Amino acid sequence: MFAPGPRSGLTPRFAAPPPALPDRVEPDLDITEEAGIVAGLGPAPRVELLAEEDAHVARGAPVARLRDAPEICLVAPMAARIGRVSLLRGHRLSEIVLFADAGGDALRHDPSGARTEAGLRGLMQRAGLWPSLRRRPFGGMPGTAERPAAIFVMATDTRPFAPDPRLALDGREAAVARGLHALAELTDGPVFLCRAPGPGPFTAQAAAPRLREVICGRRHPQGAVGLRAHALCPAGLDRPVWDIHAEDAAALGTLLDTGQMPPTRLVAVCGPALRTARLVRTQPGADLRGLTRRIAQPGAHELLSGTPLDGHPAHWLSPRDRQVTALPRAAAPGAPHWLLAALTRSARPAPVIPTAALEQSFGGALPAAAFVRALGAGDDEGAMRLGLLSLLEEDVALADYVLGGTAGLAGQLRAMLERIRTEHAA
Amino acid sequence: MMRGIWTRETVALLLIAACLPLAAFWLWYGGPGAAARLGLAALVLAAWQLVFLLVRAQPVCVVGALTALAVAMLAPEGLGPWRLVLGISFGAVMGELVFGGWGRNVVHPATVALSFLGFGFPAFAWPEIALPVAWAAIPAGLIGLVSGVMPVGVLGAAALLGAAATGAGLVDPGVLPAAGVVLVLLVADPVCSASTRPGQWLTGALYAALTGLFAAGWHGAAPVQITVAAALLTALAAPALDETALAVWHANRRRRHGRT
Repeated sequence: MFAPGPRSGLTPRFAAPPPALPDRVEPDLDITEEAGIVAGLGPAPRVELLAEEDAHVARGAPVARLRDAPEICLVAPMAARIGRVSLLRGHRLSEIVLFADAGGDALRHDPSGARTEAGLRGLMQRAGLWPSLRRRPFGGMPGTAERPAAIFVMATDTRPFAPDPRLALDGREAAVARGLHALAELTDGPVFLCRAPGPGPFTAQAAAPRLREVICGRRHPQGAVGLRAHALCPAGLDRPVWDIHAEDAAALGTLLDTGQMPPTRLVAVCGPALRTARLVRTQPGADLRGLTRRIAQPGAHELLSGTPLDGHPAHWLSPRDRQVTALPRAAAPGAPHWLLAALTRSARPAPVIPTAALEQSFGGALPAAAFVRALGAGDDEGAMRLGLLSLLEEDVALADYVLGGTAGLAGQLRAMLERIRTEHAA
Repeated sequence: MMRGIWTRETVALLLIAACLPLAAFWLWYGGPGAAARLGLAALVLAAWQLVFLLVRAQPVCVVGALTALAVAMLAPEGLGPWRLVLGISFGAVMGELVFGGWGRNVVHPATVALSFLGFGFPAFAWPEIALPVAWAAIPAGLIGLVSGVMPVGVLGAAALLGAAATGAGLVDPGVLPAAGVVLVLLVADPVCSASTRPGQWLTGALYAALTGLFAAGWHGAAPVQITVAAALLTALAAPALDETALAVWHANRRRRHGRT
């Protein structure tokens, strides 16, 4: 009755510059001079610093660890000197700024203990790979001992301008297979490998136990984790579901083989404020200005870490993001006339009219109008029955965009999730 | 920040655009009298929208033009301006504005107004829908379908069931012109029909079934009266049809995943 078909979803069009060399698919290597270690979206974690300012650290060396889960380390994405550490009240991480150290080394971890599940978890947590995992419900990285009902490995990304994960995995089939095997150790449930149609580079070798391939169409949100989880293995309060990008699964395979994390990830740099689009291999936490400086159009612009749909203004590439979007900076909207504001104040959130566009913005995976109405009405139980716990802000970003931003679905969803989390914890 | 276009106002404008062929044919055949009725209906609706804008800070919506067209086309004839103003006011206020405006209402305000006028002033004759006007309902429905603002299931189920019933001789073909116009103007409103896909097919089927039932058993009733009554009952049943569809969906998910 409600299931994402191969043609469901939308293809939102955004103005974008052409690539500098249209026929060239090989990405440039671009390690920025500065990088930042920042927390992902959501509440900043409380951290304990392991290296002081001005200290020189090797690539992959722990720079800080979480106070609430000391096993989980935040590591240096490149050999660097620690330039500045900014913490918020309560030792909450704001940012750690690193300056590239040309002669630096790379830390090698001992992967021999990863044959057991506890050893594998320890290795991922020490090597800085744990933040690449994300749990549902509620989002954020999973607890150190949490065991998910299923893991989704995303080898497809249908968001606008997203880099094709197959490019990132080209030539790394063995590492992907090794990573999938390792991920299967972390769950008793299935490992879903979501990929685009066509020949997959890993099917032959990636015969991991309980691996299930899911072919996703090219329209968004067919590659959205939340809607895939909702259809295949819905998350629950006592049944968390994890997801990880396929490039990070390959990084896990590399880590297990060599003891070192790959130094770069594939990142797409595009947006209407650029002269040309770029595909680069850069370090996690890269400086967004460094990636766009030579190709930005004249004039003020805003850099987003993420896509035009769900990106957020940032200085550094966020931990899970693989996309940089440059938008012309819009003039700050002036305050509306007091009479106009007074006359329209009861219009927010604006009513949502059920249309085919709204239904397709959820990929036909759930009763869109009923879900949006439950969100707007604050009906926690109704929204949970419709699949709220499998979703995060990025899964409703397309619907928010389609509705002209007047519905505020992402904010409503986050508020509802936090309310449910608080009630569940009590 | 870039934003999509499917706001309430866009949907309202597309619905109006879809119904333009209908309005054009109706005005062509109705002449100045029809234009005067449309102008009066639009004026009354605009006045009530202004009142709610000032009193309850409720933004106006251009979909009022569609309500005005539906009331002007389908209201009983010879009512005179005051009865018409009374009926439109009741429909607009009690059917839409007290709920917070278009998008938050349950029944189409034109359906409420027409039902009020039908029940309140039963001595006045219902209008006849000219055949060319009824034919214009087809492009209106098609534009609504292609632009995605009219539910496929409602139009599809009503058209299929109506065609089958007429082919089988169960429905008087004389009802069809009014049924088509009411379907496009009142029943296929995206707010007042069911919002789930199965619920939309059930809505269309229910409208067709009620129209057939009334046509067969309501002796002396005019085609427009029959179809407006069917539209009213269908709109009232739409939330229940949605709930039924959701209950089936929940049951399927529970069976498949052990949870919803």
